[in-house]
Amino acid sequence: MDEEYDVIVLGTGLKECILSGLLSVDGLKVLHMDRNDYYGGESTSLNLIQLWKRFRGDDKPPPHLGASRDYNIDMNPKFIMANGNLVRVLIHTDVTKYLSFKAVDGSFVFNKGKVHKVPANDMEALKSPLMGLFEKRRARKFFIYVQNYNESDPKTHEGMDLTRVTTKELIAKYGLDDNTIDFIGHALALHSDDRYLAEPALDTVKRMKLYAESLARFQGGSPYIYPLYGLGELPQAFARLSAVYGGTYMLNKPECKVEFDEEGKVVGVTSEGETAKCKKVVCDPSYLPGKVRKVGRVARAIAIMSHPIPSTDDSHSVQIILPQKQLGRKSDMYLFCCSYTHNVAPKGKFIAFVSTEAETDQPAIELKPGIDLLGPVDEIFFDIYDRYEPVNEPTLDNCFVSTSYDATTHFESTVDDVLNMYTLITGKVIDLSVDLSAASAAEE
Amino acid sequence: MSGSEDEGGEEYLFKIVIIGDSAVGKSNLLSRYARNEFNMHSKATIGVEFQTQCLEIDSKEVKAQIWDTAGQERFRAVTSAYYRGAVGALIVYDISRRTTFDSVGRWLDELKTHCDTTVAMMLVGNKCDLENIRAVSVDEGKSLAEAEGLFFMETSALDSTNVKTAFEMVIREIYTNVSRKVLNSETYKAELSVNRVSLVNNGASTSKQNQPYFSCCSR
Repeated sequence: MDEEYDVIVLGTGLKECILSGLLSVDGLKVLHMDRNDYYGGESTSLNLIQLWKRFRGDDKPPPHLGASRDYNIDMNPKFIMANGNLVRVLIHTDVTKYLSFKAVDGSFVFNKGKVHKVPANDMEALKSPLMGLFEKRRARKFFIYVQNYNESDPKTHEGMDLTRVTTKELIAKYGLDDNTIDFIGHALALHSDDRYLAEPALDTVKRMKLYAESLARFQGGSPYIYPLYGLGELPQAFARLSAVYGGTYMLNKPECKVEFDEEGKVVGVTSEGETAKCKKVVCDPSYLPGKVRKVGRVARAIAIMSHPIPSTDDSHSVQIILPQKQLGRKSDMYLFCCSYTHNVAPKGKFIAFVSTEAETDQPAIELKPGIDLLGPVDEIFFDIYDRYEPVNEPTLDNCFVSTSYDATTHFESTVDDVLNMYTLITGKVIDLSVDLSAASAAEE
Repeated sequence: MSGSEDEGGEEYLFKIVIIGDSAVGKSNLLSRYARNEFNMHSKATIGVEFQTQCLEIDSKEVKAQIWDTAGQERFRAVTSAYYRGAVGALIVYDISRRTTFDSVGRWLDELKTHCDTTVAMMLVGNKCDLENIRAVSVDEGKSLAEAEGLFFMETSALDSTNVKTAFEMVIREIYTNVSRKVLNSETYKAELSVNRVSLVNNGASTSKQNQPYFSCCSR
């Protein structure tokens, strides 16, 4: 330390590591620090010993669970949309060369007390009990409309301006029933509550198109991909990108204190008695608690199991969406499960997560509908954490604080935050229209 | 070489990592081996990714994907992902700087934390051209290697001494290990590839190099 940098990044969460990588590639001199002795911050993946230390204090994991390093347990479980923004960033930065991905086996939705596969093709759609026969015909017309919709081609709009027409109005035009609306809004457009119904329909149509395109990308059983060895690989991959372009990395730096001048503008960061000077600071909310406000809480359960989740066709990696209306809640609940096939657990072991926007202070009770779907569990852990968003004005203090990770099923909002921050920091906009068709590939 | 080269040779890709303190010459060892280049100025490693080298062993084509730390070791920030899937490792110290030899134990601990026990490991005492300011004797290096069950070799990336030999010894040891447990290897390989997807064009190699230069089985 005791040097001068363009940007100091604090916290090695995924957002911070992507930004560190992008800024280093741009030629900025970047110092990246974390108070922990591991990468990932709130988006890390823990081995078994780390998991026990975090949730069970001084206890030790039981030997029958296998080797600690065979576990890579995500602290912020999400799947990656195969055609989504994170994939575009990975391709844009060429970080794909550090990572390996597998398709996620299946996507399911909870409906009337049962778990149903979200249809991955026409055949599955015809057989699915989620809709009656006549409803399927009406839904098919709607899906064709969505598929053909092109924002820049008015002929595809069928006389409707989707920047004004609400989702509810659009769906009403096709005569779909409430059950179908619920399915479309939560299992395909992946909304976590029902506010979308009163909002312009364009967002929902785009989300449905993203789902369909992601499903078609690798023609697996779901629209998702997921990295081998867990999500903790992602921040590390971007950190390597930054390092390759000159970024300096320091872990285990306690109390990274941000220093300001008399005008309130950032001038550097002090840790262990040394100060590094900089023009800008990028960090997660925990490093500048005075510049953020609480905007919600996430309730989460982590379970170690020895079997796939029942009723998921023995899927080794799976998502189940429990729409809020099915549970009588305000927000959806999500189940994720991955296993030894993605190298996040020893052979025969599965890791399941239940998460939702918290509405009570009791995660064990609140998450029960999701936990009941898991079947027998070997071990289970509960957690509840606050979400923050920045309230400072970066043009005044040159501090760029990321928003906490939400409970959504995927990374679209995460990448949006990163891209917005990048533009605020550099004044530039990244062109993510990578040629996905050139990048498309069948299974290796 | 004698014998047919078209025996339907199987292809192997082995990941090897180079670890050790800053400025012991890790990058120059790699660039000497892969491209026969040496850079006199010891800057912190920037722009180095990994290099892929081809070797033929028992009529089989073996590719070694050799990774450099990208400078993250300077402040002890090497990622656990760096070690992911490595089947070979070179632990490098500088014979003219005692502290780099004293760090070998810590590097071994880190390696064992992240890697399988079957990793082929070599202790490398680099800069053996600096005999006049030697701070670690050959015997000390040899003793530590024996105590830890490692191969041992002194090298000079500057004058090329033992560089090729060191890498190829590790690669051959990996090949031997893999052949010995071929059943497990096949099962593991098959399992890993199920549902694997590629985000980039099939034509692009997943071991893309910074340098277009590619040396393959030229001997």
